[in-house]
Formats: sequence, C-alpha cells, structure tokens
Amino acid sequence: MLPPFGLARPRSVSAALAELDEDSVPYWGGTELLLAMRMGLIRPRQLVDLKGIAELTEVRIEDGELVLGAGLSHDEVARDPLVAEHAPLLAYAEALVGNARVRAQGTIGGNLCFAEPRSDVATVLSALSAEVRLVAADGTDGADGTDGADGTRERRLDMAAFLLGPYWTDRQPDELLVDVRIPLPVTAGVYLKYQTVERPTVGVAAVARGAAGCRLVVGAVGELPAGFDFEDVASVDAEAIAGELEPTPDLTGSILYKRHVTAVFIRRALAELAEKVSAP
Amino acid sequence: MSEHELSEQPLDTEIQTHINGRPIARRVRNRATLAQFLRDDLGLTGTKLSCELQVCGVCSVLVDDRPVSACTYLAVDVDGRQVRTVEGLACNGKLNALQSAFVENFALQCGFCTAGFLMMSTSLLERNPDPSEHEVVEYLDGNICRCTGYEPIVQAVLDAAGRIRAAGTSDD
Amino acid sequence: MTDSKMKAHPVFPEHSGKSFAGKAVLRRDLKEKVTGAAVYTVDVVPPGCLHAVVVRSDRAHARIIDVDRSEALAVPGVVAVITSDDLTGLFPRFGHIVPDHCILAIDKVRYYGEPVVLVIGDDLYSASDGADLVRIEYDELPAVMTIDEALAPDATLVHEEQYASTGDESFSAMAAAPDDSDTALPATDNITHSHELAWGDVQAAFAASDVIVETLIHFPMLYGYAMEPYNSVAHFTDDGLHVTSSAQHPYMVRTDLARVFDLPLAKVRVDVPYLGGGYGTKSYTKLEPLAAIGAWITKRPVKLVVDVEGAIYTTRADAAQTRMRTGFTSDGVILAREYEVILESGAYADNSPLVLAKAVNRAFGPYRVPNIAGRGKSVYTNTAPASSYRGFGAPQGALAGELNLDQAAEQLGLDPYELRRRNLVHPGEEILPGKRGIDADLHADLGMLEESLKRDASDQPMHGIGVGLAASDAGAFPVSTAIVRIQTDGSAVVMSGATEMGQGSKSVLVQLVAEELGIPMEVVQVVQSDTGAGSYERTTGASRTTTLVGLAVQRACGDARRKIAEMASEIFECTPDLIDHLPGGISGPDGLSATFGEVIQRWFGAEAGEVTGVGTVRREGVTQKMPPFWEVGVVGVEVAVDPETGFVTVEQLVTVADVGFAMNPKAVEGQDLGAATQGLGYSLYEELVYDGPQIVNPNVVEYRVPRMGDLPKKIDTMIAQRGDGVGPYGAKGAGEGALNPMGPAVASAIARATGKWPDRLPLTPERVWRLMNGLPEADDLG
Repeated sequence: MLPPFGLARPRSVSAALAELDEDSVPYWGGTELLLAMRMGLIRPRQLVDLKGIAELTEVRIEDGELVLGAGLSHDEVARDPLVAEHAPLLAYAEALVGNARVRAQGTIGGNLCFAEPRSDVATVLSALSAEVRLVAADGTDGADGTDGADGTRERRLDMAAFLLGPYWTDRQPDELLVDVRIPLPVTAGVYLKYQTVERPTVGVAAVARGAAGCRLVVGAVGELPAGFDFEDVASVDAEAIAGELEPTPDLTGSILYKRHVTAVFIRRALAELAEKVSAP
Repeated sequence: MSEHELSEQPLDTEIQTHINGRPIARRVRNRATLAQFLRDDLGLTGTKLSCELQVCGVCSVLVDDRPVSACTYLAVDVDGRQVRTVEGLACNGKLNALQSAFVENFALQCGFCTAGFLMMSTSLLERNPDPSEHEVVEYLDGNICRCTGYEPIVQAVLDAAGRIRAAGTSDD
Repeated sequence: MTDSKMKAHPVFPEHSGKSFAGKAVLRRDLKEKVTGAAVYTVDVVPPGCLHAVVVRSDRAHARIIDVDRSEALAVPGVVAVITSDDLTGLFPRFGHIVPDHCILAIDKVRYYGEPVVLVIGDDLYSASDGADLVRIEYDELPAVMTIDEALAPDATLVHEEQYASTGDESFSAMAAAPDDSDTALPATDNITHSHELAWGDVQAAFAASDVIVETLIHFPMLYGYAMEPYNSVAHFTDDGLHVTSSAQHPYMVRTDLARVFDLPLAKVRVDVPYLGGGYGTKSYTKLEPLAAIGAWITKRPVKLVVDVEGAIYTTRADAAQTRMRTGFTSDGVILAREYEVILESGAYADNSPLVLAKAVNRAFGPYRVPNIAGRGKSVYTNTAPASSYRGFGAPQGALAGELNLDQAAEQLGLDPYELRRRNLVHPGEEILPGKRGIDADLHADLGMLEESLKRDASDQPMHGIGVGLAASDAGAFPVSTAIVRIQTDGSAVVMSGATEMGQGSKSVLVQLVAEELGIPMEVVQVVQSDTGAGSYERTTGASRTTTLVGLAVQRACGDARRKIAEMASEIFECTPDLIDHLPGGISGPDGLSATFGEVIQRWFGAEAGEVTGVGTVRREGVTQKMPPFWEVGVVGVEVAVDPETGFVTVEQLVTVADVGFAMNPKAVEGQDLGAATQGLGYSLYEELVYDGPQIVNPNVVEYRVPRMGDLPKKIDTMIAQRGDGVGPYGAKGAGEGALNPMGPAVASAIARATGKWPDRLPLTPERVWRLMNGLPEADDLG
C-alpha cells in the first residue's frame, strides 16, 4: 500500500521548479519511486508529476551533442531514430533494461536520479562521456553553477560527478534533471551484461577511443560505475581491473565470484569491441 | 502517517479517462494504484496482482498503447489517457485471435497470469505483427507463469500472430 | 447395489470406443479465464466487507511484552485491532495433524513474519495505515535458525509443549500425544516428528557389499509461488460461518475452523472459486482463521489478502539435508540402503510430519532394495513454517537417492540407465512391503527416456546428461464422493469437492460424466469445492482427482443409471433385466427406448424432478490397498555449462508421464511440462535464504523462478498409457511426477559436464563455478 501524498501537475519546467523541495519530489514513471514509497523508504508530502511538460521528452542534436529529454522512456530512447543513428550503443542498452513494462514506464532521467547501482543506463552513459543538465529556480547561487535562462540556474555534471553512491546523486532537492547530453560523434562501442536475475550482476561498456584505445566502464558490480581509459586495448589487464573494484556481494554473487565474472565480461566485451572496430 | 495527518492539501484528484473505450470520470485517491482503481472502483477484476514489484507481469494493462504494471502505476496517471484491459479484448462475446490461440494451445492452466500475458502479447503484436520465436520470448520474458512451463504460451502467440496476419487486419 | 445386470462400464466398455475420455478436448475453464470473467477468491468482496491487514513479528523468537493499539485505533476507518488476547472462548490454534499453529501469536513469537496483530478497517487504506501504527514491545529470546542449532543439546525450544493429535486417523501416528489427552506433555526437544522404515539386515548387507557409496546433499528452502497469494473472506450469519478462500482442501479447512469456533461441521461453509495456482502450497489451513476471527470480532464480512512476502511467511516448503548410503555388488545390484532425512520445518508443524513420512518413503526409489534402514526427523526452527509443496517429500528424498545412484554408476563403471535397469522393479513388484505393487512399467518408460535423450545428445565438452526416476505413494487417503444429478432434459450436474486450481479437474469431470452417461459435454455442468453445496472430498492433492474423484464420479453415474433403469422398468412394466443402456438413455423391451429426460418426466409424471446418483470411494475394492496408486517420475535433461561463469543452459528436457490413461492428453502434457519447469526452478534458481532472523529474498525479484527465457532448447513430453491405474479407464494421477526427480537429474547432468559432484541445490552459476574450481560454498571473509 502506498502512503498518502499530494500531487502537483506543473505544465512547465519553471512551474515544476517552484514546487520542488526536500519533501516534494519529481515524479515521472514511478518505477523506482513508487516502490521505494511502498517499502516505506521515502514518504514525500507531494509528488511533482512532470509528465505534462512537453520539452522534457524532446530528442535533438544541439551544439555537437545528442540531447535527450529526461522524461523519455527507455523504450522511446531505444526506438528513437536519432538515437539509433548517433548513439546506437545507448539504443541497444536501453532495449535491454528491465522488462517491456519498465521500459515503457521508466525514464532515462528517473533512472539516473534514482542511482540504482545496477543501472545499465548509467554504465553506458558513462562510457559515452555523457553529462546531465540540472536546473533550479534561481534563488541562491550555486558555487559552480552557471546561469540558465528564465530565472533559473543550471549546472552540467558528468556521470562521475553526478552519481555519488548507491541511490545517491548530487541532485539537490530544488533541482530538476532536464536532459542528458551525449557528445558526438559516438565511436564504435559494445555493451555486454551478465544477468541471471532481474538486474545485472555486471555490465561492461567499451567504446573505441583513438586508433587502438578505448573507454571501459564497469557497472552494476559495485556501488558506482567505474571508468577506465586505455590507449591500447591490447594492454588491458581484465583481472587487474576487476581486482581494483569493490563488488557488492548479494544473492547473485559473492565478492570473489563477482570479481571473476567481471574479468570474464571485460575480456568478452573487449574482444567484441575489437571485432566491431576491425569489421569493414 | 495516515491520511488525516496530511490534510493540508488534497489527497485525491479528479480524473477523466477511457477504459476499454468507455469514458469514465472519477475522483481517485492519489495513492490509489491503477490496479486498485480497476479492481476495486470499477469492478474490472480481470486484472490481477501478484508480485507488486513490476516483475511478474500479472497486472499488465495498456495505457495509450504502452504496457504498464498496474501495481506500480498511479490511477491519477490515466487522466486523459486510454486504458485497455483483458475485459476489452473479446468483441461481443467472441474471443479475439490471441484469446482463442491461448485456449486452443492450452497456454494457461490456473489462468491467474493470463490477463497479463494477453495484454503483453497484444502490445507485442501491435509493435511487431510477425515476431520470431526469439522475439516473443524476449518480449514476454518479463511475465511469469508457474503452471505451463511457457512453451504453450510461445506457441499461442506465434499462432495468433499467424491468424491475425492471415486475416489481413488487426482484429481489434 | 447387487443388481447383476449392472455392468461396470456398460456403455463404453472398449478403450477405442470412447467419445470424450482420452481426447484433447478444449478445457472447460479456459474461456472464462481469457476474458477476465473467471472469479478467483481475490475477486470476491461481499457487500459491507471490511479489510484486514496483518502486523507481523520482526523478531525470530521473542516474548510479547505489550501491544500498543492506541495510535492504530485512532486512525479514521480502523474498526478493530485484534491480538490473541481477544480470542477468549475460542480454540486459538489450528493444524490438521497437530493443532500447534497460533492464529495470532500467543505469549511469544516463533518466527520473523508471524502474525501478531490483525488490523481491520473500512477499507484497505485505513487498515494499512492503522497497521503501520501498531507498536509491539518484545523481549528477545534465543532463536534456533538451522537444523544444527535446533538439534543442539540444550537448544532453546520452539514449542514448550507437545500437542495432542487432531484425531484424524490417517495422521494419528504423527502426533506426540493422543487426541483425548487433557494435559499437554512438556516438550524435550525440537523434533516435530520422526519416521522410520526398516527391513532386512542392513549391517550384514553392507558387510557383504563390494561397493558402498555415500552421499550427503542439501535440498533448498523453497516457496511454491502460486501467483494468487493466499487470501480469504469470512462472514458470520445465522447459518454459521461462511469462508471463501484460496484453499485446495476446503473440507480440511472446515474441520480446523469448526474446532476454532466450536461449531458443527455443517455450520461451517468453505467454498473455493478458481485458484490462482496451488501446487500443494494451498493445501490445508492458511489465512482462513485470521479472516474468521476478524469477522467474529467485528460481526461483519472481513477480507484478508496477503502480498507475496506475506505468503512466503505463511507457508514455504521444507528444506532438507539427507545422507544416503548404498551398498552394491560389483555388478551394480543394490544390497542395502541406509539413509536419514532431516527436514527443516520452521516454527509450526503444519503438514511437515506427513512431508517427512513421504520423504522417507520416497527416498530409496522404485528399486529392489532387499535391506533398508531409513529414518527421518522433522525439526522445528524459528523460521517461516513449512508445509506441502508439489511432490511433498519426494523431491527432498529422491534428490539423495538418485544422486547417490549416479555417483555409484560412476564408481561401478556403468551408465546411469544400466545401473537403474539392474535394480528397477517390474510392474506389480512391491517396493514397500505389504503396499500396492508398482503399477507402472518403469523399464519401458526408461527406454523411452533414453531413446529421446540419446537421439539429440551432444558430444561437446561441458555438456552432460542426467536422468532421474522416482516413485511416490500418491493419491493420499482414499475418501472421495461425487453426486451426479440428471435433469429432465437429459443434462447433468456433477458435484465434487475437488478444487480447480489450474490442473483441469473441472474439464476432466465433464469428460467423465459425458462419457459415462453418453451425453454431450456441453450439457454437463460442474459444481466444485463448496462444503455447503456440493459433495465431500478429502483433499485436492497428491495427484488424486482424476483417479479417485474420477472413480467416485464414475460410480455416481452408474448409480444414476441404475436408478433410471429401475424407473424405466416401472414405466415399461418389465423386469429390470430387459432394460439396457444407451448413450443418454435406455432401451426397453419390444424395441422401446427412452432418453434420460423422458424416463425422469414419465416417472415423476410431470416435466419435473431429477435423478441423483451418488458415488463414493473408500478403502475397499480397487482402492483397498495403499497407496491408491504410484505416481512415478521419469525425467532427463541435458545441460551445457559455461566454463567461465558456471551458467547452466538446459539443452534438452525429456519427461515420460506414465499415467495409465490420459483423460486429456494435452492437459497431461501441460501438467508435466509445468511440473518439470518447477523442477528446473528448484534445481537451478530457487532458494529462500535466511540471514539472521529474516529471509533476505522474500520477493519475486530475488527469489528467482523460471522465466520464458530459460525455456529448454528441446522439450519432449511423452505420455505412456498402459491402462495400469485403478482410476477410470486405467488412469492414475499426474502432475507431480516430473518435478520429483528433476533435482538429481540436473545435479548429475552438471556433475557429468564438470566432473564434480554437487552437494546442494539450487545449482546457481556461482555454485557451479565454485564446484568447478574446488572452492567452498562460501568464502571465509575473516
């Protein structure tokens, strides 16, 4: 049973920002938030339903970036022609999130804000060097904030700065994640995950960099996606990387096992990437 | 925290929706899930509940043609939207192609998961009228059945897809 | 009853002549299930119904010091907040073998998740808000969470007293004290029940053995996950107590409720709409007493539905550790088996004593074992109570017995089929002395299995094949009744206490009546599972319905036909021997004939009346010998193991359903594949895990059941029909067989793929990886 709560249904970002505080939280698909509320982990006074804000579901190319509105569902991202053209790796990973209902209901922005440590999306977006854009009503000056339009302030964070821990991000209670920005062009990449239950045990994203290098991100296995950059794929020591990680033991694996399969999937991902890069 | 302790703002909302094509206007609690609204307020008990964590698929319904888990979807969110449930599948008492294929392929036993499978299969065939076996499995992997061992369900969906294509039209 | 003119199956004596039985007819219940019209208990909400929410213990073992209800009662809409203190005047416990199970915890809680308080509200919102505000103060007690802790000397007692039996004859050996004892005996240990099986001279046989193989194996704690969670709605009226419930055995539940409220059985009505899955997990009493005490206190209808977590803390299946030792001659003939099964049965007995007895009976397999010493214990612990689940006892027992044979096959240099053949009993041979001989041809079944598996076997590395056989003394205690009412238009109503839980009993009853009376299936109506308006049935379990209820229905049809014949002889003014049976009617002298409807109308002299046939089954005639039938399990799998991750893919799944006669072959196949799939579930994925006082995965996200993506690449479900059962047309039960020996089949397939023998299920990827790499079950993290 859900606890009782009030509901605001703003029609614009600025109207939404006026509603946000510690106890009045952004709400879209509810795939994570409603579960947390049902379990008694969160008891907000009010949900701020963002689904009436059209600009949060736009996909566009802007200043050399692929811009994805935070309210796009996983399924919408997976099937969007611009995403397919410019960031096929993200489209691929989004098509594997959860199940078909979660993909239809859950959003890319909600997924990131909830910071579920086993998120496929965060791992892939880290590998793509994506950033999130956060805006807040311009009441106070954020230390590293830049001025946004219309009496708002905004800041951009990459995944490492945004994701602080399991279920913990740098989003402040008055801030709204409005979009995700992926720098273009996106080079060849792969995403491989090892999943035996509802969520992945480990997810490995690898994106080609330069002539022989890659950016490797290992997600799901620890508290946060871990990124590594290599000049030469051939020099990657999968065991050494896995050994650096701190896996979270759970019913899908002990620390020992998770380290082991992490190494296995790093090797498999890099082999697949090499194949992709060398393919004509 | 109970409702009377949170009384400084309204805890319910007026909504207008269409359920299986029928217009419905109601005041619903914000905390009411779509499943509670369908089952308790409207008496549409064909939609069942089981895991209540969006993983079993029993409560799958379509909202504006998207499949959602009615256990974790607020009733207020169907405001202005079209909802389809298992009760809307048959036409004038005649089973549609998917329903017939489920019956004929013995794709259900206890039937508790069936509404969810039918709604997800409806969604699949609307997106992809000619799915491969692999595509059926991939799309329906998020629905649990404890009775059948799944194979008859896969066969039923493929069978229904064939019938719908042969009929040349979507049958709803 | 001695009318010599009446033949057993006068109309359709020949197998080949059947019109309905044996045909893959479309199931009667499926159409309303695909439209959403089918009513399940969870859909039943009487007018004026209140809603209940259970407040559960958050301690494994603790004395209840105080329950503060004031805040809960202050919530608008909360009608009552009930504890066991409010049950004065009632018998506050239930249990069909020993009534040890507190409706609401009395004085102390015995497991995390135990119901302590019942909050009742006008709606679920108020009841739920109220439940959040109940404060319970505890004084913690030491808890015994495992078999070892429970059996340790000076272990804390889960129950301080031993309870008198319920007086149910078939269970009388399973209680510590007789039912007429007034004083409870103090308990001295945590053993719920012990069971032994012995014949021959085991010591001498082991001394004479050339090869002795010993196996120690753990069977996991399971949750059956019937997708409709337990729920009940109760109401008191001047007619007594009426409970609608998700119960497999409404008549057994009725007995428990009558004891609680001291009501005559006739004043307790339990009815069961469609069940959203049963699999044994809805056997016996669950939430019915809770809903009923709510109704008793509030004088209003009360509905209680639990969620999956609540269901897991209501009933799970017994975990087991089993040690099995077998002595063989050098050419693989079994000389002796000695074994011990210990069940971890949780805080209340429920059906665990019977599960234990079955586990001991079913551990040694359908083999010639000249010397045996089997024993078992069911142990109380401070964990969720265990009870029946599909195959009860057989999966726990067969895991040890069959895996032990496969390990022996390796040592003896025999293939697993050959070792089994050298010991497998032939049709009619007894495996339990004095009991019914095996009513199946297991040699033939094994041949079918072997042929299918070998046809598609891969010789790639990391592939392995495993087979499993099992024999269950099935059918339970044979008490069944049925009523068949023929109407003036020749249509018929069949009444049975058997529950439709997905297995297709409704459809089978229709087929049987249509067959026996020679009328179309469309004119047969079924009334099921209502103690107030139907016919008695002891249980719907142990795969018994087609066989035992089938016999009762057949006899009820015969009784109705006999009465029609008597009426016709009156009408035709002839001796009864001149009346013969026709489909849907009778023939008389001089070429006369009449339909059932015509006979009834002419006899009553109006377009009114009906003929009621009654059929009963008890321990006599074909069902004198126990068990009523053997349910055998014949399964094989081929697996492929990922050498890097330990992930197991099922390449082949092959089952043989040896059912005697398949009333509806498609339905039998469906039951078999379903059972096999649940078998793969506990073999590869499913396990409830305790960490401290509570289960860490009491939900379907982390308790991982088989998914569509796990579908084996090849599925071959074969049916063997040799007419060798006691049921109608030679039928015997199905639905558990393919689950029972699946564990050892999968375990030995993985052993053959990896070269290492596992000691526990489920074989999750990590377990298989650890097995391959010689690593312990868990790491010592210092």
